[in-house]
Amino acid sequence: MGGSLVGNRKMFWRILRRMLLANRGRVLVILLALAAGAAITAAMLNLQIDAKRRLTAEFSVLGPNILIVPAQTDSDATSRATLDERILDEVPPTSPDGWTPVNALGYLYLLADASGPTSRTYQPVVIAGVRSSLADKRVAAMRHNRRPVDGHSCIVGGKVAAQMHLQVGDQLSLHGVAGEQPCRVIFLRNMGDAGDAQISPELEVAQRLAGLPGRISLIELTARGTSEQVNDYLEALRKRVPNAGVHGVYQFSEAQGKIYSKISGLLTATVVLVLVLTALCVMAAMTNVAMERRNDVGLMKAIGGATRRVVRLFLTEAALLGLVGGLIGAASGILLSMELGKAVFGVAARPRLIVYPISVGLTILVAIASSFPLRRLASVRPAAVFRGEA
Amino acid sequence: MFLRLVADSFTRRPRRKLLTGAALALGMAVATAALSVSLDVGDRLAREFRSLGANLVVTPAADSLPLEIGGVDYRPANSGAYLAVADLPKIKSIYWHNNIIGFAPLLEARAMALPFALENGKLRQTANWIEDVPLIGTWADHGVPLPDGGEFRTGIAKTNPWWRIDGQWFSDDARECVVGTAFAQKNKVKIGDEISFAVGDVTKIPSPFKVMGILSSGGPEDNSVLVALSQAQLLTGRPGQYRKLYVSALTKPEDSFAKRDPKTMNADEFERWSCSPYVSSIAYSIAQALPGTDVRVIRRVAEGEGNILTHVRTLLWLVTFAALLAAALAVGASSAASVMERRSEIALMKAIGAGRGSVGFLLAAEQLLLALVGGGIGYALGIILARMVGERIFGAAPEPSLLVFVIILGLAAGVTMLGSAIPLRRAAHFQPAPILRGE
Repeated sequence: MGGSLVGNRKMFWRILRRMLLANRGRVLVILLALAAGAAITAAMLNLQIDAKRRLTAEFSVLGPNILIVPAQTDSDATSRATLDERILDEVPPTSPDGWTPVNALGYLYLLADASGPTSRTYQPVVIAGVRSSLADKRVAAMRHNRRPVDGHSCIVGGKVAAQMHLQVGDQLSLHGVAGEQPCRVIFLRNMGDAGDAQISPELEVAQRLAGLPGRISLIELTARGTSEQVNDYLEALRKRVPNAGVHGVYQFSEAQGKIYSKISGLLTATVVLVLVLTALCVMAAMTNVAMERRNDVGLMKAIGGATRRVVRLFLTEAALLGLVGGLIGAASGILLSMELGKAVFGVAARPRLIVYPISVGLTILVAIASSFPLRRLASVRPAAVFRGEA
Repeated sequence: MFLRLVADSFTRRPRRKLLTGAALALGMAVATAALSVSLDVGDRLAREFRSLGANLVVTPAADSLPLEIGGVDYRPANSGAYLAVADLPKIKSIYWHNNIIGFAPLLEARAMALPFALENGKLRQTANWIEDVPLIGTWADHGVPLPDGGEFRTGIAKTNPWWRIDGQWFSDDARECVVGTAFAQKNKVKIGDEISFAVGDVTKIPSPFKVMGILSSGGPEDNSVLVALSQAQLLTGRPGQYRKLYVSALTKPEDSFAKRDPKTMNADEFERWSCSPYVSSIAYSIAQALPGTDVRVIRRVAEGEGNILTHVRTLLWLVTFAALLAAALAVGASSAASVMERRSEIALMKAIGAGRGSVGFLLAAEQLLLALVGGGIGYALGIILARMVGERIFGAAPEPSLLVFVIILGLAAGVTMLGSAIPLRRAAHFQPAPILRGE
């Protein structure tokens, strides 16, 4: 009995091998369809995961998403309360997404009088001294975050420049309650926000002007990650700096969540549609297979093959095709998505290993499901086939 | 004879034709859906991005330099310039008026506040005068009369859609207010309390405002109090005036052309520039409509939006292309299959004397007919599918477009012919005899 079972199994695989080799063209078409489907599925799934990561990066261009401000106190002087500058260096240096550095900027705001090179009069202006927690080289690379390069330079807002007729290279003199500081205009800033009406020297310069060494007004953090990751990060940050108020900036986090869900929905819809189409493609090819194999099936049945075994034979064939098509297709799909990522976001998408088994599994499922036309073979009557009747 | 053959082929074996046609229709439905959604998606996404809020800010050109720290303006009272609320409807008369989603004028002041709590039906003063309270007068939901007789409802909820409000906004002219969450926490103010405000010197306690809601904005507004614009105008003695205007406009991402200075363009270029909804050209036309203003693009929002939108659009076109490719592959394969299963028929025709050309022509005509019918049905199905996808993802269905219809029929015909061409070529070389023998 055992021997015959082994024999059966041997025979089963032998028939399978012969079936696959008999019509190589047809098998190739099915494989191609499955591989193409798997490739597109894998590429889309990988892009979907990657798009999330890329979008969190894109959204960080919009501005800081976390603010650290002095804790609320009952005193009336809240608006002038300050933080310890050392908090700036206590901020966890890595973003919640796990790899990008957190850009933390400490600001000290004060009112001072500025006088330009031509005018002898003093213009009251808001001074925003700034220091980053990052190394200078990186900061310089960020277009939106122009910083003073040294203790003698400052960024001047476009509105201030218009009011005081300033140009790049002009020398300014700043007068605060605790002293006077010179600075040279190195950049005119026109971003359409409050910074356009401010003069921004190095933090230390502002501290000397205000007579508040080691103090800052607030910290702006740009931490990349999904909304959930940023929320976890916020919690951790609150524990780390208990004496300060830590707030999320909703403006960008809400939009980010909304827009990501739309894009993700579109990509998922595409994956589903592509899988349906792959099934359609394979189904068409399988219809032909069924037509061609009427004779083979008739013969198998005539010499005693049970319908169940015949069907099992064809299903195994389909699953095998799905496996091979999926393995090849998904691999090329992941490579494809890396290239697509480069085309879309300018950075190659990182391959996700989880995508591979999922795409292969889906392809096998589609292959089996689309062997539906083979169901006709079950109703083949050997005698009719051999007589040549349709 | 030719027409009869075609008609016969459809009526004799309707089931087989139905199967091929169904496959074709399904494939084309998917292609239609993908194409319609992605043609529509740019506009929809641009609208989604307006959840980032205003991308333009308008201030008086003759204004003195704002001295704003933490939402409080330290300029001496009554210094600086103001703009007239009466001019605001002009914004909706510019060329790009349909792209203006919303706008909200702001009048800010440094006020003093005196909170009262309601206890046993009586107001009880809960604290002394609170100094340096940033008071913001704006529109919550205000109807702006339009030149064409209609009304445009707008307000701060349109330009700052991320603001969360616990309770409700103040009504337009009522003595009601909304307080920032930090202010509420610090001064123990809750919904239902009343607060008196005064700007400048106080001689008697003014009649109070009722607290309608608590605002959390994540910004400096959390420390301030918001009242209706008209009330702020009364408090500051600036009737009919505002100082800052936020505008939220639908824009096209800026390319290198948009970033050029309009002053350096010639007439044609200027025409093209002002006829594209770039944020800079909308800013330019607002400045034209409201003379004496300085219109600034909020760069962070505009550029961030532009970058992301461009990338997402590219991504979605790639996705559409992938779906079209898959659809073409599926339809091609099924039409190839439908030709292949008719080998014996082809052989028979050849055996009784049909030439290569006439057989090919006959089959091509059949396939074409099938493609047009299948493509048409597919288009109809696809529109329904696109509607489902569009409504699910964006809450709005894409408009059916003629362009998509033409593309789909062309694609169906092209792909079907291409798919049948390969087996037809092979069939042309068949010897009729072995096929008819069944070998």
